[in-house]
Amino acid sequence: MQQLLLELAPPPPPTLDNFSPGKNGAALKALREALADGERFVFLWGPGGSGKTHLLRAFSEAAAAAKLEAAAVDDVARLGEAEQVALFDLCNRLRASKGALAASGEAPPARLGLRADLRSRLASGIVLQLRPLDDAEKAAALNAHAAARGIALDAELIRYLLTHFDRDMGTQIAALDALDRYSLQRKRAITLPLLREALGLLDAAKR
Amino acid sequence: MQGFWASCLTRFEKELPAQQFNTWIRPLKLDASAAPSGELRLLAPNRFVLQWVKERFVPRIEAMGAEFFSSPIRVSLNLETAAAPEPVKPSAPAIRAARPLALRSPHAERSSLIPEFSFEGFVAGKANQLARAAALQVAEHPGTSYNPLFIYGGVGLGKTHLIHAVGNLVLAQHPSARVRYLHAAQYISDVIRAYQQKSFDEFKRYYHSLDLLLIDDIQFFTGKDRTQEEFFYAFNALIEAHKQLIITCDTYPKDLAGIDERLKSRFSWGLTVAIEPPEQEMRVAIILKKAEAVSLKLSEEVAFFIAKHIRSNVRELEGALKSVIAYSRFNGRDITLDTVKEALKDLLTAQNRQITVDNIQKTVAEYYKIKVSDMHSKKRSRNVARPRQLAMALAKDLTQMSLPDIGDAFGNRDHTTVLHACRTIATLREKNHDINRDYHVLEQVLKG
Repeated sequence: MQQLLLELAPPPPPTLDNFSPGKNGAALKALREALADGERFVFLWGPGGSGKTHLLRAFSEAAAAAKLEAAAVDDVARLGEAEQVALFDLCNRLRASKGALAASGEAPPARLGLRADLRSRLASGIVLQLRPLDDAEKAAALNAHAAARGIALDAELIRYLLTHFDRDMGTQIAALDALDRYSLQRKRAITLPLLREALGLLDAAKR
Repeated sequence: MQGFWASCLTRFEKELPAQQFNTWIRPLKLDASAAPSGELRLLAPNRFVLQWVKERFVPRIEAMGAEFFSSPIRVSLNLETAAAPEPVKPSAPAIRAARPLALRSPHAERSSLIPEFSFEGFVAGKANQLARAAALQVAEHPGTSYNPLFIYGGVGLGKTHLIHAVGNLVLAQHPSARVRYLHAAQYISDVIRAYQQKSFDEFKRYYHSLDLLLIDDIQFFTGKDRTQEEFFYAFNALIEAHKQLIITCDTYPKDLAGIDERLKSRFSWGLTVAIEPPEQEMRVAIILKKAEAVSLKLSEEVAFFIAKHIRSNVRELEGALKSVIAYSRFNGRDITLDTVKEALKDLLTAQNRQITVDNIQKTVAEYYKIKVSDMHSKKRSRNVARPRQLAMALAKDLTQMSLPDIGDAFGNRDHTTVLHACRTIATLREKNHDINRDYHVLEQVLKG
């Protein structure tokens, strides 16, 4: 029972509001404006863990909620030839109907080895780089996430999370949420000893 | 003069590429009416050719004349009246003036035209002026000047913009005209649909009834036999009925692979014009104009910097400007040269590789001329331990791996060892110039 609670649940559904921007505020703003009345095409690029999938899923949800004609295409470099033609066609249709497009990749469109006609369409709007959060920004993001749930975290605990788990924000948030559920169940405050105890249980369960 | 003009024709035919000769020189006629001696009177079939010959070829003709007669001659150009197409007056101008906003042709809906793509918004320069002039000529005299107009050029140079501009202008002057823009891929889908629904009669009726058909990216027809066949019929029907056809393509028609020969030869029945990539000066002009369109005052220095670094095409140039604007506005900064450099820095030096811990170990080992196995070994001598610590620090900074995972990758070391290595390197980089330089060099190599 306790072990089940400790399993890392999937991170909360991504929204534009629960994205911790760090140095990526311009990207977040560009997506919001694409849904409002700004430039409709946004391409975001950066390494894994920099927030591409979070932002694109959030964008897609927000566009659907606003009943806006929009598409989000993550990691475009993985598209095959026929899929690239389909995306090319989609770009043309969205441009003609003033619909919005958010797309992403690990490099700017020009360096993804795509068809030239697709590449230039992806680069026709705002192209911005996403940077992974640094440790201080991750700590701030964890604090903000915790504060939203009425929890105060001490610095020691955050350091522990950042040194013992994968450091992408999805995992970090999921770990914090799991710990939150565990603390509710044990009716104990979230502290480092509680986290160690929880991890100990998890290890024991794995063995 | 007749003898002189014949000699001009012979020389031009030798000097010019066949396409240019056939487009500009061959259609010229010698004016038979009496002319004062020392004057060559030529007639051009339309204003477009007239303008072009006047700008490009008259000086050459004058030079030939001076040589031929051993004295200077005058060259005059006029429109061949019979062949000059009558410009069609826009119908019902009173309504247009009274209710300009309400005027929307019943066919505008189906035309798929984007109203924003106008001639006014099209930045002209050396690279596209011929195509622009030809498009304007065709828009003013659809069906009677060049048919088809075939515009070719690379990606993102404004082909689509230009043919929409023709459609919009024609529709503005003839609100009842049946105008249709479509991408070649859509035409292919239409053929497939007609095939599946056995509705070819309807398909034919629709396409053959258009007054102006604008078809984009014809190279998509490559290898699509059924589509090519249908298009062949549509082509013939439209041209015969003097209905205008405009085609765009990414290559010169003769170079198209997988397209039926009889279609290819028909593509060059009218006028074939190229759009070239914009040269630097034109790129600067484009940036300044696009900035102006969003009420942004941009210094020439800034426009010059963007134009210098984004050379590929107009579409990406516009994208770069939008990105710079988004970046500076968000950061609350004016668009200065420094801001632009900062905004475009990553785009211009972007990394293309996924950085892995293996990659880091290999690169660092090569750099310090040690073995990759030393990254995992227990050896603690300084010449091995320091590079290993540097590699761990790079792994922490450049990947999202957990510290325990990084420790594992370095010979099953504890995460505290990784943490210690990162702190050591951070301290050393502040104190030791060489270590700091090594770190930056390696970071750069890894980012590609």
